[in-house]
Amino acid sequence: MHQERYRAPVTRSAAQTPGGVSVELRGVSKRYGGGATAFIGVDNISLAIAPGDFCVLVGPSGCGKTTTLKMVNRLIEPTSGQIFIDGQDISTLDAVELRRRIGYVIQQVGLFPHQTIAENVATVPRLLGWDSERIRRRVEELLSLVGLDPGVVRRRYPTQLSGGERQRVGVARALAAEPPLMLMDEPFGAVDPIVRGRLQDEFLRLHAQLGMTVMFVTHDIDEAIKLGTTVAVFSEGGCLAQHAPPSRLLASPASDYVARFVGSDRVIKRLALISLADVALELGAGPQGAPTLARTSNLRDALSTLLSTRADAVTVVGEDGVAIGAISMERIRMALDDVARSWPENEASSEGPAGRTH
Amino acid sequence: MTPGEPLVRWDWIFSHLGDVGQRLGEHLLLTGIAIGIGFVLSLCLAQLVRSWSWLYGPITWITGVLYTIPSLALFAFLIPITGLSRLTAEIGLVSYTLLIMTRNIVAGLQAVPADVRESAIGMGYTDRQLLWRIEMPLALPVILAGVRVATTTTIGLTTVTALIGQGGLGYFILEGILRFFSTPLLVGAFLSIALAVAVDSALVLYQRLVTPWAR
Repeated sequence: MHQERYRAPVTRSAAQTPGGVSVELRGVSKRYGGGATAFIGVDNISLAIAPGDFCVLVGPSGCGKTTTLKMVNRLIEPTSGQIFIDGQDISTLDAVELRRRIGYVIQQVGLFPHQTIAENVATVPRLLGWDSERIRRRVEELLSLVGLDPGVVRRRYPTQLSGGERQRVGVARALAAEPPLMLMDEPFGAVDPIVRGRLQDEFLRLHAQLGMTVMFVTHDIDEAIKLGTTVAVFSEGGCLAQHAPPSRLLASPASDYVARFVGSDRVIKRLALISLADVALELGAGPQGAPTLARTSNLRDALSTLLSTRADAVTVVGEDGVAIGAISMERIRMALDDVARSWPENEASSEGPAGRTH
Repeated sequence: MTPGEPLVRWDWIFSHLGDVGQRLGEHLLLTGIAIGIGFVLSLCLAQLVRSWSWLYGPITWITGVLYTIPSLALFAFLIPITGLSRLTAEIGLVSYTLLIMTRNIVAGLQAVPADVRESAIGMGYTDRQLLWRIEMPLALPVILAGVRVATTTTIGLTTVTALIGQGGLGYFILEGILRFFSTPLLVGAFLSIALAVAVDSALVLYQRLVTPWAR
């Protein structure tokens, strides 16, 4: 039962209307040069991503995550191994046709400075030869979808927008032809933290709404945990250290490397992933005068409240403000144990390959 | 120049207006052909560099050598082969435009931001679409800067082609020198300068018109 609950992040996308495709990397490597000076960019990576999943590739710089992403739309060709999209070996497909079916967003956005925002967003539909009326309607729709006012920005040039607005246009442009797969390379890396948080939330909403498969590169573990339904942790030398849902990555890192990478505060991060609605609460309200929290809050909020108010328990209330139970330090500890117990070591995972460990 | 004669004899100018118009037309035509052919050739050379970057050195070396040949020497060399013809004039004029325009087209294409190029390829532009829809439009300000320099230089240089009987404003300058008559000499020189300034301004206006994003 707990297992079911804690895998909620995975089912978040699996429950979507079919909007995504599966992606599978099979023993993919990329080596540069040969002989003694050969440099290994990506080392024998196997990774399976289910349709509609949001897979975040995370790791230190130079660990091969961007190279891995660029091999999926064939901007880089692998030295060995195969990549399948929706079961098709992409090396057998025309690279240009393939790219037009995949959304691509990069950190610097790469908007075309000589085209208006509307023209930029219309890029792929134009390449695909849509008629102008259909393109015009789609551009309006997309700009609204990413939270921009089409009437205001349509005729502007990229230099006339803020960094956050440009990034939104970049996402709209990538979404234009309803790609079943989006590749995003640190798309929110160049904006300030407040705007980044907002863009992340909006993109999560878009993902839930559209259900496409996403591969997302970042070096920020917090961003990975917040966005991903699965997280692939890369290590130096282009190796895949672990591929698992975020809650599982935090609860049972596959190696010391992964444990260090997710951080010594990984327990706190795990708490943030568990909603009060999902834990077994103590029956009845907390003691007289106990602080209250909404059931939509998470365990980290609960811990924070317990520590700051020095109370023994927090009363949890429903949307109507009526107490539905209480949570104490002991219950938080139990909730964490439940999760750990539901994932025995080396279990044959059902959410895709757990990746190699080092 | 005969003593006592004024520097500019206006009556000569008014009686030769038709002549002036004809020479101005010739001058424009000679320059236009040179810039047109020179631009197309430079574009081809720049494409070679885009595909094989090691060609940049040899190409700038050859066009650089062409640029340094004195025009009179070049004409003297060509006349036995191509005669006192427009072809001779154009070979000279075109070869002087290549260095400037090729260098600017290459520089303009190279200045296209890497992220723009990457996102274009990543979204499915073919190489040709990338060149004509993204790289060339973005390189346009730098390319047009090269065209402006080449055009103003060529307008000045075209005066020399009168020496091989190809007319143009140089005809008046030559006539002035041969007849010790200052009026046509000044008319030729003044119109040549005025033409260069006018064409250059027109190109600036054109650039502003076709690069609205750069304003």
